[in-house]
Order: sequence, then C-alpha cells, then structure tokens
Amino acid sequence: MDSARREEILKGLSDAVVEYEEDAAREWAQKALDEGVDAFDAIMNGLAAGMEIVGDLYDRQEYFVPELLMCADALYAGMDILKPHIKKESVPQRGQVVIGTVQGDVHDIGKNIIKLMFDVGGFTVHDLGRDVPLENFVQEQLRTDSEIVAMSAMMTTTMMGMKKVIEMIKAKNPNVAIMLGGAPVTKDVADLFGADGYAESAGNAVQEAIKMISRLREMHKE
Amino acid sequence: MATMTPRERIQKLFKKEPIDTMPVFSGQGMVTIQAIQKMGIRFPQVHTKAEYLAESAITSAELFGFDAVIIPYDMCTVPEALGRGVSLYEASEDILYPTVPSKWEKLEDVEIPPDFLQRGRMPIVDEAFRILKSKQNGKYAIGAWVLGPFTMAGQVIELDLLLKGVKKDKERVVAFLDKMTDLVIKVAQHYQELGADYISIRDMGTGTDLLSPRMWQSLIMPNLVKIFKALKPPRVNHICGSTNLIIEMMNECGAEALSVDHKNDMAESRKKVGNDVLIFGDFDAYATLNQMDVSKVEGVIKGCIDKGADAVWPGCDIWPDVKKENVEAYVATIHKYGKIPSPAVGRL
Repeated sequence: MDSARREEILKGLSDAVVEYEEDAAREWAQKALDEGVDAFDAIMNGLAAGMEIVGDLYDRQEYFVPELLMCADALYAGMDILKPHIKKESVPQRGQVVIGTVQGDVHDIGKNIIKLMFDVGGFTVHDLGRDVPLENFVQEQLRTDSEIVAMSAMMTTTMMGMKKVIEMIKAKNPNVAIMLGGAPVTKDVADLFGADGYAESAGNAVQEAIKMISRLREMHKE
Repeated sequence: MATMTPRERIQKLFKKEPIDTMPVFSGQGMVTIQAIQKMGIRFPQVHTKAEYLAESAITSAELFGFDAVIIPYDMCTVPEALGRGVSLYEASEDILYPTVPSKWEKLEDVEIPPDFLQRGRMPIVDEAFRILKSKQNGKYAIGAWVLGPFTMAGQVIELDLLLKGVKKDKERVVAFLDKMTDLVIKVAQHYQELGADYISIRDMGTGTDLLSPRMWQSLIMPNLVKIFKALKPPRVNHICGSTNLIIEMMNECGAEALSVDHKNDMAESRKKVGNDVLIFGDFDAYATLNQMDVSKVEGVIKGCIDKGADAVWPGCDIWPDVKKENVEAYVATIHKYGKIPSPAVGRL
C-alpha cells in the first residue's frame, strides 16, 4: 500500500479516538485490515497516537474525565477489531501485569485507564477487578509470574492496604515492579511504600499512561 | 475574654459574629481510633449501633477538644437504604470504610423506595442524632453531611456510566440528577429536623479534576442551588479536588460557607470571593494527621490560617488511625493562632 493511504488510515484512527467516535474507530480499523496496514502499526501509530493528542487536550483543560473515558472507549472499539490480527513478530514481548483496586475501594476508573495502557502496549493483563482482597494480588502474581503489579486506591482509607501487598510481594520476589495509582497516592507515599511508579488521579493516570505509550511507540519505531 | 461553649462558637461563626477563638471542627467525620479503642470496640462495629456512633463522636471530641460531633461516618447509609447493601469489612484487620457492594446498571433501574428513611441503617443514624442531642447537653455543635447529587449518583450507578452519560446522554443524566437532588434534600432536611446545627453538602466528585467548569455550571450548580434553597442555614458547600476554577460559582449556590481541600489555592479563592465569605479548609487530613512528623503539623495548620481560612478544616474525613500527638498539635495550633480575626469573622 502507498504511504499516503497508510497515513490517511492512521489519521482516521487517531481522529476517531480524539473525537470519541466509536463507530468511526471501528470503520477505520476495518479499513486498516482490509487494505493491509499492519494491525500493531494501526494500534500504536493510529489509536495510541490519538490518545497522545487526547493527553495534550487534557493538559490544556480542553478535555476532562468524561471525554477521556469516551476516547478510551473509541480506542477499545478500534482495538477489539485490530487485536486478533496482530502478528506475533510485530509485537515485542512485553510481559504480564496483575492489576486491580485494593479492598475497600470500589472505584476503578483510573485502574481501567491504566489497564488500557497495558493492553495497548501488548502486555498480558490479569485484571482482578475492584475491592480485591490484598492476598489475591500476591497469589495472582505468584500464579502468573507477572513482572508488574499495579494497584489503585481512590481513598486514603484504603491506601494502607497497598503497603502490605508490596511488602508481601517484595518478600517473595524483589524484582516485581509495583505501580500505584489513585487520588491519595503521592510521590512520598509511593516512595514510603517502596513502589516503583505512581499516578495520583484518573487524569494523571492517563498522562502517565500516555507517556508510557509514547515511550513504547518510540521503542517500536527503533 | 469571654468564653463560649463549642456550640455557641460554631453558631456565631456561621453568622459571622465575633467569637473568642476559631473552633476546631469539620463537615466530615472526625472519629478517631483513640476514641474507638477507649470504647473497646472495632472500627467496623462503630457504624452498626446508634450508641457507638454517638459515643465515638463525643469521645473523639472530648479526647482532643473538638468543637463539634459529626455523624455518620460512612457514605453508604443512603445507598444501603435504597437497597444496594453495604460491605462493612468486619473481618479486616485494617480500618476500611464501608462501601457499596453493587450498583444499578442502568439509570432507569434506579428506584427510590418512598420509605427509604426507615430502611437500612437510617434509623440507627436517626437514633444517634437523638443521643447526641440528649447526651452532651448542648455543649458541642452537631454536624451532619449528605453527599451531593452527583456524588450520590456515583454511589448507586457506575461512575463511568454517569461521566460518559453527561456527554452522550445528557437529558437522561440531567433527569436522573434531578431525582438524586430530591433524595439529597429529603435526607438533609431530615437531619436538620433531628437537630443538626449545621449541614455540609459534599458533592466531592465534581471538582475540575473530573468535570469541566462549563459542565459544573450546567449540570452541578443548578442542583446545589435547589438543595441550599430547600435547607435552613447554616449550610456548607464542600467540594474536594481542584476547585479554583469553580469557586465563584460555588459561592453563588446559596450556602453560608465554602469548604475546599488542599488542592485549592485558598489565597486565590479568597481574592476571588472576597473577605465576607466563610471559607473552610484546606489541609490534607491523611498527610497531616497520620503521616507527618508532629513537628511539621503547626506549620501546615498555621498555613491555612495565614491563607485566609475562617475555620481550618481537613479536606476530607479524618482517617481514624491518627497519630495522637499530631491531632493534639492540630488543635493546639488552631487555639494558638485562631485568636486573631479571620477574613470573615471578628474576635471578641
């Protein structure tokens, strides 16, 4: 296919995400497949590229969380079509992640957005859901031998649970990377708990997620 | 200098009449683990009996010198009364606030039982208000709070459905929030009838971290205006998270006082709304009372006074497992620096 048409399709995917048009995302994803654009290329340089623009709009306070959620839906709509067609050789092996919100917390918007980042990036995601008993994180990490455990808590009242999980996991496997998210989580808390990364809100999670997607996209280009 | 009872101090503060010193209180839960331990119970139990609720509030106030007793502590009493159940985490060794175990999947599924005020733990909360009224002889002000319509909606419906709905399905979401508004009014009026001396409406999930100022104006503000119109003073409009972009609109909702958390630049808010408006805030409760070295607490609390708080309020419920010495420092600092007038309230 000529590069102008590839660019056009990638832009169509990106625009669909930015304009939160789920139907358009599906249509452009189908066009990508029909016309021979590599599925992983379409995800990373179409859908994920759109999400980068969304991140800028959020930074500039043009978009807020409702828009972010709808953009994420559009991204998933496109990805559902593209994902089954990803060629194994075009995706670097990223590894596995265990994700969930800790016991006592039933809010999972931030968690779901971070999950999206891992999905886009080609990780295998083990989503434990929300209000997850602490020991389940440890068990799931051991069962799957995941490299990353990502936990979210929206309230200070549930945040302390994260510290326990980190201690339990690090005692068994010090190499597991721990990511924390949620409104009460600050850099100080992440440091204090021995976490390797953090995001303090759903919006911030998006920014972190987009930064990570950008890095993955850079790596993909190299 | 004339001295006042804690209740008189708070009542006068709300009327912007001169007081002896700044009261130590909040519009959110102030129950402490020290009070719970003194009573010989565990945190999950405190939500289940009127006597526990009332006694833990009074004991917390007595132990530390708070000016108010505030109930209830958890945000599930109303959703539970609507039939959504409650998770109390009775087996957990940690302090976990109750949560709503399941939510309605569609807006049209939400039904408000006409007798919801008599369901779930609502009668327990009622009885706790009665005990507070009779037991402490009018010494402390009795504070009550109700979640605002949007935040209440998020307790009974998936929040992402609601957030996306405000863009995709605005008409139905507006109608649903209207229903939630009537619910909030019923609960808040009920607490006022039971003798609450002040009431805080906490639509905490509506800061500009989540919603745009434009959306706040069209979707949140009209409901808050309706609520404050239906309630007797004194009323507090509390929103946490980023609020600097909406502080002027918050001020137009009709409450006597605005409450914000540490994400608000209070000096800037003060400039925007002027010195005649009561502003409460804005320290990070968990960082200040649970985590920080005690030597730093005075600086944080004094900072709130210096920035123009008429009362130094935590931005959220106090997380019960506080460090005793930090709470003592918080109270002592307010007593030490609260003797000079605040922007909206003079001193005797």
